[in-house]
Amino acid sequence: MKIPFTKKRFSIFLLLFLVFCLTSCSDSTRQKGGDQGQSQPKHIVYRLKWLFNASVVGDIWAKEKGVFELAGLTVEVKEGGPEQDAIKDLELGRAHFGVASADQVIRAAAKGAPVLVVAQLFQKNPLQWIYRCDQVHINSPQDLKKYRIGVTFGGNDEAILLALLSKYHLDPQNLDLYAVHYDFNPFWKGLVNLWPVYRNTQGILLSHKMAKIGEKACFFDPTRYGIKFVANSVVTSQAIYDQHPELVVRFVKALLKAWADALSEENLENAVALLKRYAPETPKPILEEQIRATRTLVLPDGVAMPGMIDMAAWRQTEQIMVDQQLIDKPVKIERLLKPPLL
Amino acid sequence: MPFIQRFLQFLGIYITGVMTLWGVKYFFGLSDYLVPPPLELLEVAASDGIRDLLAAANTMLVAVAGHFVAVLLATFVAIIGRSSTLAGNLTRMAAFNLQAYPVVAIAPIIFLFLGDGLASRLLIASLICYFPLLLSFIGIFSQPVDEVEHFFKATGRLNISLELKIRTFENLDKLITVIVGSGTTAMVGTIVAEFLAATQGVGYVIRKALYQSNLAKILIALFLIGLFSSIYLSLLEGCGKLVKKRMIGI
Repeated sequence: MKIPFTKKRFSIFLLLFLVFCLTSCSDSTRQKGGDQGQSQPKHIVYRLKWLFNASVVGDIWAKEKGVFELAGLTVEVKEGGPEQDAIKDLELGRAHFGVASADQVIRAAAKGAPVLVVAQLFQKNPLQWIYRCDQVHINSPQDLKKYRIGVTFGGNDEAILLALLSKYHLDPQNLDLYAVHYDFNPFWKGLVNLWPVYRNTQGILLSHKMAKIGEKACFFDPTRYGIKFVANSVVTSQAIYDQHPELVVRFVKALLKAWADALSEENLENAVALLKRYAPETPKPILEEQIRATRTLVLPDGVAMPGMIDMAAWRQTEQIMVDQQLIDKPVKIERLLKPPLL
Repeated sequence: MPFIQRFLQFLGIYITGVMTLWGVKYFFGLSDYLVPPPLELLEVAASDGIRDLLAAANTMLVAVAGHFVAVLLATFVAIIGRSSTLAGNLTRMAAFNLQAYPVVAIAPIIFLFLGDGLASRLLIASLICYFPLLLSFIGIFSQPVDEVEHFFKATGRLNISLELKIRTFENLDKLITVIVGSGTTAMVGTIVAEFLAATQGVGYVIRKALYQSNLAKILIALFLIGLFSSIYLSLLEGCGKLVKKRMIGI
């Protein structure tokens, strides 16, 4: 029997559809984030920024070595990825803590997302440009004009590069920029001279591959030229921070202890073994080198404990984003930085 | 279906979707970071609209070219694959097996050899709509139209050319529907290719917007995709009607 599709039926269908959307959203928010209300959540969700690799070795350590349990917390550490955004998960109540880069935090705050930074994991941004030492010679940013540079348009490497160019009064129009995608082939083929990588992960892998074919890898590090663009930081929602301050302290304390343990020299072997379980295809010597490189980013000279908020770097990051019109106006960064342990 | 009707249908769905999104936003008090407000959508449309419109037009041009290549290739291969000879059997077997591979999985190999320019976008767009076309074409061309072919067979006048003409004529509606339908997959294929590796087109616009969590820009891009899909599908349907008119007279 054919049922006529009248306007009335369509309106009822539309209404039911809207009710379904609203109730399903409401359920998920209440079940997971609803415990952002009065009672302290029993099951904590911690959403990482990226996939499991050396950049999250401290988080893996906390998960696997029972550091959270010792602090009386049940924490589910969830892998991140290109489609994941911890700040969105916080707002939707799908996570209680997360990892986000400073540009994500500032962009979200500029649009009213209730996000706070409780610890800064990377004191140095891992983003650098790899190049062949014998073919590229960079003594100052002015030398960049001579080469073709890979850049992810829209990504934070673009923001960093533009900030550097602006600081050294270089016109981007005078540079030969190449749009970077997922694969490294343009760099291998020699089409591009400098390629953006995360120094502690991709940088190590690529330099080993290059060594195999007799090439030596060098890195162009924007921080050497005064560009401080904050990378991975631990974030939570305003609601969690206000309603469960004790939880925030316990979580951050446990997490930072895990990071310190994972990066300590005496635990290196353990950390490599742990990481190997998550990255079985990566040889142990490379993992070891990646962890050492991560240490220099999380605990550079002069920093004793992980998690310190580098206020000057945050201000500079905010200024870069304002200058590049990535946000309309400053977000008053100080109000977002709430390290509970300092 | 005329363009206006098709576009209005799309517009209805688009507006319902966006209104639902805003309904959820205001009902739950979600921030502008999660769901952009109406004003932001208008601002993005005003500031980037023309640039994004050109990007979407660029995508459509590549999709049209890719679709054209796919139709030609599928017709050619289906003519070989329709017969029960060794070549035909092998072609059918290869077609059925190859279509199981998602094109995104072989995309890295395409980018390796063709780079991330126009050639890759064109090839991926063609491949994505090629296999469904091929399978439909093989089905249509290998199905005898006994009541017509019987006479020519009996008189010994049935050759390959005549057989194809009969089957095309008798299945014209099916063929047109399949080609029009695959127009959408050509658009999708081009956008996928641009998303994976390109510096032009609406897929690249979406990719850049994703880096910056810019949902307003993505919503604008979705509108433009709908607009250009409507234009292209209406054009294809118009061409289909013309072909039918010339061949059948209706």
